[in-house]
Amino acid sequence: MVTWILRIASIATFAYMAFLVYDILNPNDIWHWAVPYEFVVTVFRMLSLIVFFLATTMVSGLVSAFTGGALPENVIVGLYNTLVLRTWYMQPYGLADPLTNIQQVWASFQMNLGNVLVALWNNTFLFLYFLCAGIGIALFLQSLVRMDHRFVGGAFISIQAIVILAAFRHLIVPDISPFPADFMEFFLTQGQILAFVSFAYLEVSYQMIYSSSVGKPVEDREETLKKQLLALRQATRKQDAIERGEKVSTTGMSRSTGATAFSFLREAMERKVMGSQSALESLDAVSDVRRLQIYVDELLQSDSRARDELTAKAAAPSSSYVIGSAITGSAIRFLTVVAVSFILMSPNVIRLLLNLPIGIENSVEMLQPEIVVLFLVPIVGVFPFAAALISWLSKREVVEKEMLTKEEKEAMEKRKKDLARKRKETEKARRARAKARKKRKGDESEVDEWDKALEDTYKR
Amino acid sequence: MVVFAGVLLLTSGFSFINFYLVLLGVYCVIGLVVTLPLFALTANLAGIEVDRQIDKVKVFSGDFLRVRVTIRNVSRRHFDFIEVHDQYPETWILAIGENFIASRIEPGSSMTFSYILQARMRGRYFLGPTEVIMRDRLGLHYYKRILKEQTEVLVYPTWKDVRRLESFAKQRQLGLMFGAHRTKTVGMGTDFAGFREYVPGDEFRLIDWKASAKRGDMVVKQWEQEKNVQIICMVDTSGSMGNGYPENTKLEYAIRAAVLLTHMGIERKDLVGTCVFSDIVHGYIPPGTQPNHMYDVLEVLAMAEPKGWSDYETAIAHVVTQSKKRSLIIWLTDLERSPAPLLNAMKTLVANGHKSLVISPFGPWFEAPVGQFGPVEKVLSEAVSEELWERRNKIARALSRFGINVINVGPEDFLPTIIRSYEQAKQRGVATF
Repeated sequence: MVTWILRIASIATFAYMAFLVYDILNPNDIWHWAVPYEFVVTVFRMLSLIVFFLATTMVSGLVSAFTGGALPENVIVGLYNTLVLRTWYMQPYGLADPLTNIQQVWASFQMNLGNVLVALWNNTFLFLYFLCAGIGIALFLQSLVRMDHRFVGGAFISIQAIVILAAFRHLIVPDISPFPADFMEFFLTQGQILAFVSFAYLEVSYQMIYSSSVGKPVEDREETLKKQLLALRQATRKQDAIERGEKVSTTGMSRSTGATAFSFLREAMERKVMGSQSALESLDAVSDVRRLQIYVDELLQSDSRARDELTAKAAAPSSSYVIGSAITGSAIRFLTVVAVSFILMSPNVIRLLLNLPIGIENSVEMLQPEIVVLFLVPIVGVFPFAAALISWLSKREVVEKEMLTKEEKEAMEKRKKDLARKRKETEKARRARAKARKKRKGDESEVDEWDKALEDTYKR
Repeated sequence: MVVFAGVLLLTSGFSFINFYLVLLGVYCVIGLVVTLPLFALTANLAGIEVDRQIDKVKVFSGDFLRVRVTIRNVSRRHFDFIEVHDQYPETWILAIGENFIASRIEPGSSMTFSYILQARMRGRYFLGPTEVIMRDRLGLHYYKRILKEQTEVLVYPTWKDVRRLESFAKQRQLGLMFGAHRTKTVGMGTDFAGFREYVPGDEFRLIDWKASAKRGDMVVKQWEQEKNVQIICMVDTSGSMGNGYPENTKLEYAIRAAVLLTHMGIERKDLVGTCVFSDIVHGYIPPGTQPNHMYDVLEVLAMAEPKGWSDYETAIAHVVTQSKKRSLIIWLTDLERSPAPLLNAMKTLVANGHKSLVISPFGPWFEAPVGQFGPVEKVLSEAVSEELWERRNKIARALSRFGINVINVGPEDFLPTIIRSYEQAKQRGVATF
């Protein structure tokens, strides 16, 4: 529920952000819907000219080698007329009529290529605006379904990339120049509104992802458990059917219940448990599935909390808390970010605060955006520093439980000692045996029948 | 992503002298760091406690085990987003549920989740550690802590062979004693065995006067008594026993055979002991019938690891000093060590009045089928197999001189062989007491 509300808010902010970008860039007359088509056509036209150039050069070279150096005019003219004019006669860059003179063809080619390159340069940017918008919308739609920060960030950057590209082309873009010294004036400028909406899109979308990531796992767990239990029951029934000699379909179960997503059954399937008569040979896998069914049944019967614990139902956060904290958290963040950014961006505020010398106050640098860096870097550094300081001050002693309990450690220690003692004793016994054997060898002249057997073993 | 966007917008703003781009860049950068102090104030993972509970600490391989994990927030702060991953041994299978949770947790509250695992492969295993990750709401910052506490689980060897044996016995409706041969000894006892002619020295009370009168000659009544056999199973756990497919190594089969033998022995009131050895004696459970005997054997077998070399002499010296009664000693060894120590061990064993039998898994039968190899590997593997086979035949010949049989087994006939050997021992009354 909360996720759906935030999803709607995300859609609204994205739509407004996209609309503002569209609206502000509209006076540049860049939103021609035919632009993508023209771009593609221009690219192909350029490619066709290059292919034509290469083709004629190769053909003329080959033909001239056979005809004693004479250029085959008719061939080039024919090729040009066929490859370029016939194919592209409808396009604005081609010539309407067939050419008959080779010089005309070459001149046309040079002129065409130049025109095409210029058109391509212009069209590329127009095309890129559409491309960025398309990517932005695609990523935005993905973000609504997949709930991933990367898609939200991608959608945001794609839309802002349109403004960046337009700024590069020196078009009319949102700007806040000169930067107002009055907060309210600043707050209501068009550029600020777009920046604020863009930031709001990021904030709302991230809240949406948060809401989904705390609520979804519990929902998913419940869904997965249902599927797993159903798949398990069907698998057991299927085994029964196989044992009774009935024919069973092989794929019906996995498709209907999503059993293939259930690793335990998948493994069982890999061991060919279900679906074939020969499967019965794999007794272990069959009995594993059956025993799991019995185990789960007994567990669910004997422990009333078992199902809730498997689904972790109690871990789901309350909707009211999530929505309440999302609103307060976002409001605090908006206010802080806007206020701090205004102080950073407006040199006048800092100027008043710092009481700078008149030479610096009137310098051109104060009117340049780079002045922001002068204050941005230290202020940005303050927050991590404060965080580190707080963590250090509020550092609580982490009571780390040991990997093993005292008894377990003692038992392990005892096992080690026992092993060492055994090794020592065995080694001692081994040495004593060797010594005794050596002594006996020296004393006895006759060969023991066991030794004889041993000798025979080696001899053969 | 936000950092990238911030830097991109700032640099673009500076390059094209555009205050909108700079402002948005500043928003991104400030938005990224502004909550850091607040996050640092709330994020203290020391306030999180994780408690893991399991139904049983000792399970059989292939059994299912429910793991319950409770996460408690003992601090006074709420954790907006917390992820808990409870780790389990790699060889085990997650049967039902999931071993992680992601949610938020209020101060003083707790949440519990559980999952069901299938324990695979015998041995000592540890559940845990638990990884706790705390993120801020927007996923911009996170802290991670690993709670080292682990839960020990001992996995006994598989019980499936015993289950199968029992189910077959039930199917034939002859009870668990199906196929069992009783070992009887004529002499003392309560069961009537028959008559025989009186020989001087027989006690007068044994004379059956009625039968003697009928026959016209003195006959004595004979009684018989059921005898039980005493068997000691010597499980070799040297490094070479670990060869073969995982879960189907020579050692695993030897362990399954030992479990089956012990179970059958207990069922029929025979005494079966187990000795697990390599270069030292890792464990020895003397033959017994006490209620916990099976679990003692299972425990010692669960811990067996294939390493070291086979010191038969040390193993038999240990067994001989521990067990004075005449026993049938069944060796489960691959005979891949030099024969001298084995013959010496057999010498000690025979000298102490014990009987012996060697059930020997043949290495190449437990490894990859030759068909899977390339031509060179195929030839090499065949050559190695032949050499091993020849060597093992020599050892078998040497041992057969002293009445000790060597039975070569593969994965298919390992368990049937141990059952057959036990039945034959019962039939022949080897090592009765």
